Amino acid sequence: MPEVSKMKKPDVKLVLLGDMNVGKTSLLHRYTERKFKDTVSTVGGAFFLKQWGPYNISIWDTAGREQFHGLGSMYCRGAAAVILTYDVSNWQSLAELEERFLSLTDTANHDCIYALVGNKADLTDPRAQLSQDSDEASKDRMDCGEERTETQVLSACPTPPASPVSLSGITPGKQVTPEDAMALYGRILRYKGLEEKSSLPAEKMCFETSAKTGYNVDNLFEALFDLVLPSILRNKNENQHSPTVDLEECRGAKRGRPGCC
Amino acid sequence: MSVKAFELVPAVERDLLMGDKARINIECIECCGKHLYMGTNDCFIHHFLLDEVTSSKGKLTYSAQKLLHKYLGLKKPVAELRAASALERLIVLCDGIVFLVDMVTLETVPSAAGGGAKIRGVTAFCVNENPVNGDPFCVEMGVISSKKRTVQIYMVYEDRVQLVKEVTTPEQPCAVSVDGYFLCLALATQYMILNYNTGASQDLFPYNSEDRRPIVKRIGREEFLLAAPGGLGMFANAEGVSQRAPVNWSESVIGAAVSFPYVVALDESFITIHSMLDQQLKQTLSFRDGHILQDFEGKVILASTKAVYVLVPLPLERQIQDLLASHRVEEALILTEGAQQNIPKDKFQILHKRILQQAGFIQFGQLQFLEAKEHFRKGQLDVRELISLYPLLLPASSSFTRCHPPLHEFADLNHLAQGDQEKVLRCKKFLISYLGEVRSTEVANGCREDVDTALLKLYAEQDHDSLLDLLASDNACLLADSVPWLEKYHKYFALGLLYHYNSQDSAALQLWIRVVDGDLQDSTRSGLYEYIVDFLCSCSNPDLVWKHADWALAKDPTIGVHIFTKRPVSKDVTELNPEEAITYLGKHSQALLLFLEHLVLERKIKKEKFHTHLAVLYLERVLSLLSEAPADEERLNRARERLQALLRESNLYRAQFLLGKMENCEQLLLERATLHGKLEENDKALHILVHKLKDFSSAEAFCVWASSCRDSAYQHQLFHLLLEVYLDRSLPGKSQAAAAGGGELEMAAVDLLNRHGEVFDAVRVLRMLPEGWSLQLLRPFLGRAVRASMHAGRTAQIAVGLAQSENLQLLHDRLKDRKKPIFVSEKKGCHLCHNTFSEPDVVCLPGGAPVHTHCVAQRVRDSPTKRQLTNSSNHT
Repeated sequence: MPEVSKMKKPDVKLVLLGDMNVGKTSLLHRYTERKFKDTVSTVGGAFFLKQWGPYNISIWDTAGREQFHGLGSMYCRGAAAVILTYDVSNWQSLAELEERFLSLTDTANHDCIYALVGNKADLTDPRAQLSQDSDEASKDRMDCGEERTETQVLSACPTPPASPVSLSGITPGKQVTPEDAMALYGRILRYKGLEEKSSLPAEKMCFETSAKTGYNVDNLFEALFDLVLPSILRNKNENQHSPTVDLEECRGAKRGRPGCC
Repeated sequence: MSVKAFELVPAVERDLLMGDKARINIECIECCGKHLYMGTNDCFIHHFLLDEVTSSKGKLTYSAQKLLHKYLGLKKPVAELRAASALERLIVLCDGIVFLVDMVTLETVPSAAGGGAKIRGVTAFCVNENPVNGDPFCVEMGVISSKKRTVQIYMVYEDRVQLVKEVTTPEQPCAVSVDGYFLCLALATQYMILNYNTGASQDLFPYNSEDRRPIVKRIGREEFLLAAPGGLGMFANAEGVSQRAPVNWSESVIGAAVSFPYVVALDESFITIHSMLDQQLKQTLSFRDGHILQDFEGKVILASTKAVYVLVPLPLERQIQDLLASHRVEEALILTEGAQQNIPKDKFQILHKRILQQAGFIQFGQLQFLEAKEHFRKGQLDVRELISLYPLLLPASSSFTRCHPPLHEFADLNHLAQGDQEKVLRCKKFLISYLGEVRSTEVANGCREDVDTALLKLYAEQDHDSLLDLLASDNACLLADSVPWLEKYHKYFALGLLYHYNSQDSAALQLWIRVVDGDLQDSTRSGLYEYIVDFLCSCSNPDLVWKHADWALAKDPTIGVHIFTKRPVSKDVTELNPEEAITYLGKHSQALLLFLEHLVLERKIKKEKFHTHLAVLYLERVLSLLSEAPADEERLNRARERLQALLRESNLYRAQFLLGKMENCEQLLLERATLHGKLEENDKALHILVHKLKDFSSAEAFCVWASSCRDSAYQHQLFHLLLEVYLDRSLPGKSQAAAAGGGELEMAAVDLLNRHGEVFDAVRVLRMLPEGWSLQLLRPFLGRAVRASMHAGRTAQIAVGLAQSENLQLLHDRLKDRKKPIFVSEKKGCHLCHNTFSEPDVVCLPGGAPVHTHCVAQRVRDSPTKRQLTNSSNHT
């Protein structure tokens, strides 16, 4: 059997998790292909290799469907960052993160960072409706209208709790406020047994994005890439200590472990 | 979809295996080189020899030859067969027992004395293809036992099996695969990785093995392919990490194998082929009653219950070409690049380039120019392939022929565009930008003529601004091919540039002249006439200049003369002989004048001939203006000013000659005065100025001018002369002149003295002045004279004093620096007479030795050189 081709070895792994139809694939599409297009429900998972400076970052797009739920922990194994994605117009999608997806991240790195991303912000936030590239936006809006309505129907969700109700009066459709997300972030840290003080602050790790207009998408990925950089450097460091001589990775000087404060 | 990646080729037909016995089914297969073994449900092993036959058309077929079959005597189906070719053994699982048979005779190997060659209670086993044991005559095997939750590791030798390790599992395993120390297991409810050396385990993901048959398939070093819920094919490595995205199979998949870059899976009615590179389904083959799918040394073999087939991969290039043929560029490129590891490097590069080029042409055909360009660039396309698509762009002389097999399906651009002119135009614009980019890069190496000529043609046709830039810069446009093209599009100016670039300046000039004269129409360049003049101006071929200067001068002498006057002074432009030019310009008087002005005034050529010629021309002009009935004052004044200026500034013309020419002209007195001045006939000049012109300021100016580069004595003399002229009463006619006239002269004299007092010798002036003049009249002059005299006297005194003090100072310094004190005493002797000194007066010899004054005097008198001693001092 021929030796399986060795692709560029990723230096670090990011995983997108979240309920189905929250827009994980669209987020990744928007970031990698700069456009919003119709996607079909992801089967199993897919991944994308992003060249970030000298590093290769693999971004795994997982399937949100219950059917593939069991594979999640495998995708998360060794992940340096997990992007927990929900739909700002769907309260249940946030609840699912805590109920179903949080436990999948047990296999991630011990120092894995967690980001909470509320997608479809364009539905509730006028700021997010401004597209990055205007000509594309109008076109996008046209072809995705139907899909969107369908999504809304699908996410027949229980009544959101009290606090967002008042807000939903201002921005119709909005069911999850940034405060809800930040509260969940706090609970994630507690679940992980992490000190809130020594972890990354909730304000920094909770995002609202729109894959449709591109709002905040680059921001999200690039912020995360910057944050996983120490993880990359440590991976490389560990590779150097491995007894196996890696002929492909003939890197010169040892990289010092980044200082910690 | 629908790449044709594999072809299903029958290997062993039903007849050959079982003839007409309908109930015999194939249970398992093994292939080792050409040897194909088959286990059946009636406990037989069949041994075939499988030969590959390639037909003349390149079609691959298999011919199977049955060698042997053997009944194992257990009345149960043969569950599994594995060859251990180094041992010449087949490992057989039948009726829960693993045992060995000889590969050739198919005889069961009897147990050796030391240990058994049988393992009982086995449900499944696997062979480690990446063994940890270094012994080549030993096979490592993972075995699942039916009773306990364990996996056992055995070493299989020629005649015995040896248990080396036993590891327990949390649940009953039902499928196993092993790589190195890593066991990949399908348990009842999940998959896991188990390191049998360390005991470390890693859960992979849940899977209900009772619902669906699990698949655990080693596909490479520490990497496994697993059947996952939802009909997925999941990849997992020994660390429990998935490094490739899963492929989407059907729920009922039976077997899977990897034949890079494809994952092949078998279900009840289809063979599905997914690419590992992009996870897409690439091919589906209908296959009924599929039963077994396994890969053996890269060969994928399938079996239904009755027959065996080989899944033959089509050559990669053919697959890629198929993809390209259906315009699936991205997939073709992914497949090409994914195959990099499997093809020798040089071969890969050639293939990759070609695919890139083809991809580029496909995208070009779809007018996706950006992508096309990128692929052309990466694929290092011979740019002529692209040019050749455009009719008539390649030069007739080009040796280019399109590569074979062709990179694209287009005959030419018209074929591609199907008559859509808009498309044609866009393609042309693309080619313009593309050629513009590549012409200066190495892509154009070896075909610069073709590239530049094509670009020129496109520019001309599209009326593109860069045509001139192309021709004005370094280019390789072929003249023969470009001429008709440029003529066709009336780009005569450009054609001229091309002629010029090809050193055919004469042709260029003739063409341009025809454009200027209106014979040809080309509005490219507005000031073409001026351009021609400039061109001639810097033209290095004098013959060409002489030939076309006439035309230029006739058109506009003032600009035409630039040919002669604006010639840059440099090595590459040959100097035109000015004399020749003057002769040549004889018939163009205006141009001649301009040229002489250029020579005399700008280039300051010191040649009498030019200066005189110019002066004569000026004079003639003045005279002609004078002779006009109503004299145009303004023009006359300008002409005279020029003449006067020349007469004043130049010293080279023949003044006498000019004087002769204007002798009789009473209107040019000033000019005559200047000429007299030039001839140093100052008295005549002043006479004219004072008495004829009565222009006293001019007279003064004359004095200043005429003495401007002479010494002050000359100036004095000149001013005195003027004064004399003013005061001269003996002049005939003077008496007749009105008293006012005499007074006028006297006033001029007074003014002169008062104004230029400093240049007069006051004593001489006083002698000359008439007695009757009042002191008051001359007060400024006299005051200045007295003051000047005083000033001079005092200045002289100061100078004397300063000089003296300076002298003293220097003496002092000299003594201080050079001399030490000289001691003279009564005890010291004179160096000359050796007597002692009696008085303090001594003379020092050079070197400081004191001697008697009289001795020195004596010596000086006696010395033949009479050298003087300068240093005397009287130190005591």
